[in-house]
Amino acid sequence: MLRLIHTADWQLGKPYRRFDSDVRAALSEARFDAIDAVGKAAVEHGASHVLVAGDVFDTEGPEDRIIVQAVSRMQRYACTWWLLPGNHDFARNSGLWDRVRTKGAANIRIVAEPIPRELEPGHWLLPAPLMHRHNLDDPTALLDTMETPSAMLRIGLAHGSIRDFSSRGESRNQIAPDRAQRSGLDYLALGDWHGALRVDAHTWYSGTPETDRFQRDEPGFALLVVLEPGVEPIVTPIRTGRFQWLQRDWTVADAEGFVAQSERLLANAEPSATLLSLSLAGIVSMSDRIAILGMLDNDLRHRLRHLAIAADDLVGRPSEQDLADLQVEGMIGTAAAKLMGMIEAGGSDSVTARRALERLFVEYQRGQDAA
Amino acid sequence: MSLKIRRIALTNFRKFREPFVLDGLSDGLNVIIEPNETGKSTLLEAMRAAFFIRHNTANRLARSYAPHGEAVAPQIEVGFEAGGGEWQVTKRFLKSASVEVRSPNGRAQGEDAEAQLQALLGARRDTSQAGDAAAHGALGLLWVGQAQALEVTPPGEIVRDSVRATLEAEVGTIMGGAAYQRVRPRIDSQFADYWTNTGRSSGRQLAARTEHEVAERAANEAVIRLAALEQGFSDLEAARARLKVLDRDLADTTDAERRKALVGQIEVARSAAQLRDTRRAEQGRLADQVKALDDLATRLADARRVVSDTTAALDKAREHRSVLEEELASARERAGTARSRLGIARDNRRNAHAALDAATRLIAARARQTEIAQVRQRHAELLPLEAELGAALVLGTTLIPTSIIKALEERERAVDKASAAVEAGATRIEFIGDVSGVRIDGLPADPGDRTLSRETRIQLGAAELIIRPPAGLRAAETELANARDDLGAILADHGVTSVADARARNEVARDAVANARTIEARIAGITPAVPALGLHAGAAALKTFVAALPESAEGAGSGEQPDLDALKVTVGEADSALARAEGVDDAASTQLRDLEARSAPLMAQAAGAERDAANAVAQLAALEAKPEIARLAEALSEARQLEAAALVSLQDAERAATAHDVAALERQIGVVDKRVEVARTQRIDLEKVIAGLEARIEAEGGKGLADRAAAAQEEAEAAAANLVRVTQEAETLKLLRDTLEHARAETSRTFVGPVARRARRHIERLLPGCDPSFGDDLGLTSIVRGGRGESCGDLSRGTQEQLAVLTRLAFADMLLEQGVPVSLILDDPLVYSDDTRLDLMTEILTDAATRMQVILLTCRDRAFRHLGNRITLTAVE
Repeated sequence: MLRLIHTADWQLGKPYRRFDSDVRAALSEARFDAIDAVGKAAVEHGASHVLVAGDVFDTEGPEDRIIVQAVSRMQRYACTWWLLPGNHDFARNSGLWDRVRTKGAANIRIVAEPIPRELEPGHWLLPAPLMHRHNLDDPTALLDTMETPSAMLRIGLAHGSIRDFSSRGESRNQIAPDRAQRSGLDYLALGDWHGALRVDAHTWYSGTPETDRFQRDEPGFALLVVLEPGVEPIVTPIRTGRFQWLQRDWTVADAEGFVAQSERLLANAEPSATLLSLSLAGIVSMSDRIAILGMLDNDLRHRLRHLAIAADDLVGRPSEQDLADLQVEGMIGTAAAKLMGMIEAGGSDSVTARRALERLFVEYQRGQDAA
Repeated sequence: MSLKIRRIALTNFRKFREPFVLDGLSDGLNVIIEPNETGKSTLLEAMRAAFFIRHNTANRLARSYAPHGEAVAPQIEVGFEAGGGEWQVTKRFLKSASVEVRSPNGRAQGEDAEAQLQALLGARRDTSQAGDAAAHGALGLLWVGQAQALEVTPPGEIVRDSVRATLEAEVGTIMGGAAYQRVRPRIDSQFADYWTNTGRSSGRQLAARTEHEVAERAANEAVIRLAALEQGFSDLEAARARLKVLDRDLADTTDAERRKALVGQIEVARSAAQLRDTRRAEQGRLADQVKALDDLATRLADARRVVSDTTAALDKAREHRSVLEEELASARERAGTARSRLGIARDNRRNAHAALDAATRLIAARARQTEIAQVRQRHAELLPLEAELGAALVLGTTLIPTSIIKALEERERAVDKASAAVEAGATRIEFIGDVSGVRIDGLPADPGDRTLSRETRIQLGAAELIIRPPAGLRAAETELANARDDLGAILADHGVTSVADARARNEVARDAVANARTIEARIAGITPAVPALGLHAGAAALKTFVAALPESAEGAGSGEQPDLDALKVTVGEADSALARAEGVDDAASTQLRDLEARSAPLMAQAAGAERDAANAVAQLAALEAKPEIARLAEALSEARQLEAAALVSLQDAERAATAHDVAALERQIGVVDKRVEVARTQRIDLEKVIAGLEARIEAEGGKGLADRAAAAQEEAEAAAANLVRVTQEAETLKLLRDTLEHARAETSRTFVGPVARRARRHIERLLPGCDPSFGDDLGLTSIVRGGRGESCGDLSRGTQEQLAVLTRLAFADMLLEQGVPVSLILDDPLVYSDDTRLDLMTEILTDAATRMQVILLTCRDRAFRHLGNRITLTAVE
C-alpha cells in the first residue's frame, strides 16, 4: 500500500500586481504557506511522497528568492517531493530546474525526463514532463510504452487538459481521457485544472492547494491517495487553501435588497479570507445607488480581504423627490436639471452626465449632513 | 440704513499738520466748496483710512498718511450715525497705532474695534498696498475718489452679495445659494486635482497617464529582456544541435576514403603524363631535323637566285658608267681652259691698278710739298706778331684797377682836404725881410711863409714869440701827414708817382689791351687748320708742326704729271676683262661638278653591284661545298616520314594523359582537406558560442525575468485600468463643474434685471430712450441707443461720469433696501458735464439726498453753491 499526496499548480511567484500591496503580499505568502499545508498533511497522513503535477512555479524564470523559499519550505517535511515540469515551468537545458537542482535539497526529486522512477520498491512513477511552453501533442502518449519491469504499482504523473474538456484548461496539450487504462496505470495524477476533479476512478486532478483566481468558490485542496495493487484508489481531498475567491453577480432593486444579499454572503464566508468580485446590476434611485456604493466603499471593502466592484450596470435614476429636493437649491437644481436633460437625451455624454449627476447628489448630501 | 457722517477731526494727516475739525454735516446733501489744494481729497482719504485701513498697518499707504517728512502719528476721528445709534471711530497710525470705537454697544479697542467696524460696514480686511475698494464693501463703491470718477466699476463681491437678497426677492427662489456655496468650492477643488484652469489635464490625470506610460514601458522592457533570454535559450539549443551535426560530420569516414582513392588516381595520372612528355620530346627532335633540312634546301635555291640577280645588276651599272665617262672628260677640259684665262686677266688687272696707285701717290706728294711751304711762310709771319702780342699784353697788365684809381683819388682828396684843413687852421706866418737872427724852434728861419700847427717859439732876438695855433691844427696836420702817407703808400704799391700818372698809365695799358686783341685776331687769321697735313688751327699747333718738319721737305716734285685719266681707263678695262673671265670659269667648274656628282652614285652603284655579285657567288660556292647537299632531297623525305610516325605516337600518349588530370585530382584532394579544416574550426567556434550562451543564461536566468515580465505586465494593466478610472472621474468632474458654472452664469444673468431696471429709471432722465446693458458681474457694459450698442468706454466723458454716478445710485438704493449702511461721497464730480446735464444730475442727487446722506467735494463754486448744506473747510480750530 502506498500513501501519497497528489497536488499541482502551485504557481509560486504569481505577481498579483493588480492588487494593492497588502493584499498582494498576503496572496503571495499564502501560496508558500500552501506548501507547508501540503507538507503537514503528508506527515499527518503518513504519506511519504508528494507528487506535484506541474506548474510548481508560475513562470520558467522566477527570481532566486522564490526558488529558495520553495525549497526551504519543502525541506522542512520528512517526505519526498516529486516535482514535474508543467507548461508554465517547463523543462529545458540550463533552465529553471537546473537552478532548483543546484539548491541541493535531498528530499526533492525533479522528474524532468520521461523515465520511470522508483518511489518505493515495486512502486514506480511514470512522469510525462513538459519540455516546452506550448505542447500540442499528448505528453502522456509515451507512458504507454514506458516499461517498469516487475512493478506492482504504476503511477502516472502528467500535466495538461483532458481532451474534450471545456476550454477552461490552460494548456493546449490534450491528454487522452483513458490514458490510465491505456498505459496500465494504477493512478494518473494530473495537473493544470485548478480545481479538484475526478476524471475517472484512476484519474484525478488535484487542483491548486491555494486558489489563485476568481474561478470557483472552493478554496484550495490537495488529494490524499491510497493505492493498492488491483484496488481502486481511495482519494480524499484535504483542504489546504486559506483564501476563497468569490464571484457574484447581483441584481439589485434597492438598497435594502443589496444589504440583504451582502449579509447573506458575509454570513457564509470568513470575510478576512474572502476576495470578492462583485457585479451589480439593476435600476435604483439615485440615493439608493449612492447608499449602496457608500456601503461597499466604507464597509464591505474594509471587511473583506479584497473587493472588486463593477457597478456600471447599477443605474441610479433620480426620483421625483430627489429632483425636487435639488430644485429648491437654486443653482444646484439648475445644474441637476441640465444633467438630467443630457442623460435623457442619451447621447455620448449621457454616461458621463449620469456620473456627474450622482456626484452632485453626493456632494450635496454631504453638505446637508454636515449642515 | 443711511450712514450719516457728522464730524471729522484730523491731526498730522498729510497736509493737515495742525489739528483740523469739520462738522456741521447734515442728513441730506452736503456740499464742500473749496479751492484746489485745500485738502478735500485728503478728507476722503482720511475717512477711508479711519473706516477701512487697519490701525496697525505700516505699509506704504499708512506711511503716506504722515505729513511729508515728519515722523509723527497721523490721527483721525470720525463721528457718525448708523442705524439710529451714535458711533465714533478714533484711529491712530504708525506711532503707537491704536483704534477705538465707541458705539451703542460700548467701547472697543484694537482688533475688537476693527471687527466691529467691519461687521457694521460689511467690509473685509484690506491688506492691499494701496487700498482695495472692493474690500470696503458698499462704501468702497459709493465713496468715489477723483480717480474713479469715470469708472463704471462693477460692484465687488461684497456688494453683489449684499444686494443679492433684494434681487432674490424679485427674481424668485434662489435659496440654496448657500448650498451652492458649499458644493461649488468642493467640486472646484476636486476639479483642480484633475485639470488646469484652462481645461488641460493635470494633477491626477497627468499622474495616472505618467504611471500608465511608465508601467507600459517597464512591461515592454521586461518583455524585451525576457525575449532576449528566451532567444538565448533557443540560440543555445540551435548551437547544440549544430554541434551535434558537426561532430557527426567529423566522424564521417567517407571523405577519408575518397581521399585515398584520389591519391591512387594521381599516381596513374602521373605516369601517363610522363610517357606523353617523352614522346613529345622525341617528336620535337624529329621535327627539328626536318626543319633543318628544309632550311638548307631553301637556302640553296635562294643563293642561286641571288647570283643571277646580282650579275644582271652589275652589267647594267657598268653600261651607265661608260656613257657618263665621256661627258666627264670634255667637261674637265673646258674647265682647265677657263681657269688659265682667268689667271691672265687677274694679272692684267693687278698691273693696271698698281700703275694707277703710283700715279695718284705721286700727285699727292707734290701737293703736300706746296702746303708745307705755305706753312713755313705763315710761321715766319707769326713770330713777330707774337712778340708784339706779348708786349701789348704785358702793358695791359700794368692796368691799375679802377678801385685803386678810386682809392687814389680818394686819398688825393683826403690829402687835399687835410691840407685844406691845415691851411684853414694853420697859422700862417710869413717872414719877410731880414730873417737872420730869427729862429723858429731853435732853427733859423727862412723867408717865406710858413704854416704853424703847434706851439712855435720864434726867437726874435732876445724876444720870443710863442705862437699857439689852435689845438685842432695839430690833429689836422697829423691827418694831412697820414693822408699823404696813405696816398704815397698806394702810389708806391703800384709804382706810380701820382694819380695822374696812374691814369696815364691806365690809358696806355688799355690801348695795349686793345692792340693785343687786334694782334690776336691777326694771328688767328694766319693760323688756319690744314687738314691735308693734319695741322690744327692755332699758333701753337703751327709752331709744333713746323718744329717737327724735317729739313729736307723742300723740293718740288720733279718730272711731269702722270696721266691719271688714261690710267683709270686702263684699270676699268682690266676689271671687266677679269669679271668675264671669272664668269666663264665659274660656269665651267659648275658643269664639271654636276657631272661628277652624277657619276659618283653610279660609280658607287657599280662598285656595289660588283661586290654583291662577288658575295653571291662566294656564298653559293660555300653552300654547294656542304656535304649534305649531295643527298638533300632524300634525307628530307626520310626525316619527314620519321617525324610523322613520332607525331602519331605522341597523340596517343596525350590522349592517355588527359584522361587522368593530375591538377584536377590535386584540387579535389585540396577540397576535401579544406572541408575537414573548416569543420574543425567551426566546431571550436561553436563551442565558444555555446559556452558564452550558457554563461549568459546562467547569469540572467537567476534574475527571474519571466516573473518580472509577468508582474510588469499585470502592473501595466492595472495602470491602464487606473487611467481609465481616473479619466472617467476627470470627465465627470469636468462636466459637473461646467454644468454648475453654466447654472451659475444663468442665475447670475437673472440678477441683472433688477439692477438694470433701477439704473434705467435714473438713466432715462439723463439719456431718454437709452437701454443700459449690464454684464454678469453687474457692471455696466454698454448703452443701447436707437438700436445700436455703444460700449461705455466709447461714450463721451461727460456721459461716462454721469452714468458712473447713476449706476452707483442704483446700487445705493438697493443696498439701502437691504439695510446696509450707505452714504454717498463724490469728490470733484461731474467735471465734464455741460450745464444742462449738470442741472439734471444735481436734481437727481438732491432727490437721492432725501434717502441717504450725500457729500459733494468740489472746487466749482458757481456750479454747486446753490445746493444743499454748504460747508467750508476753512473753519479751522
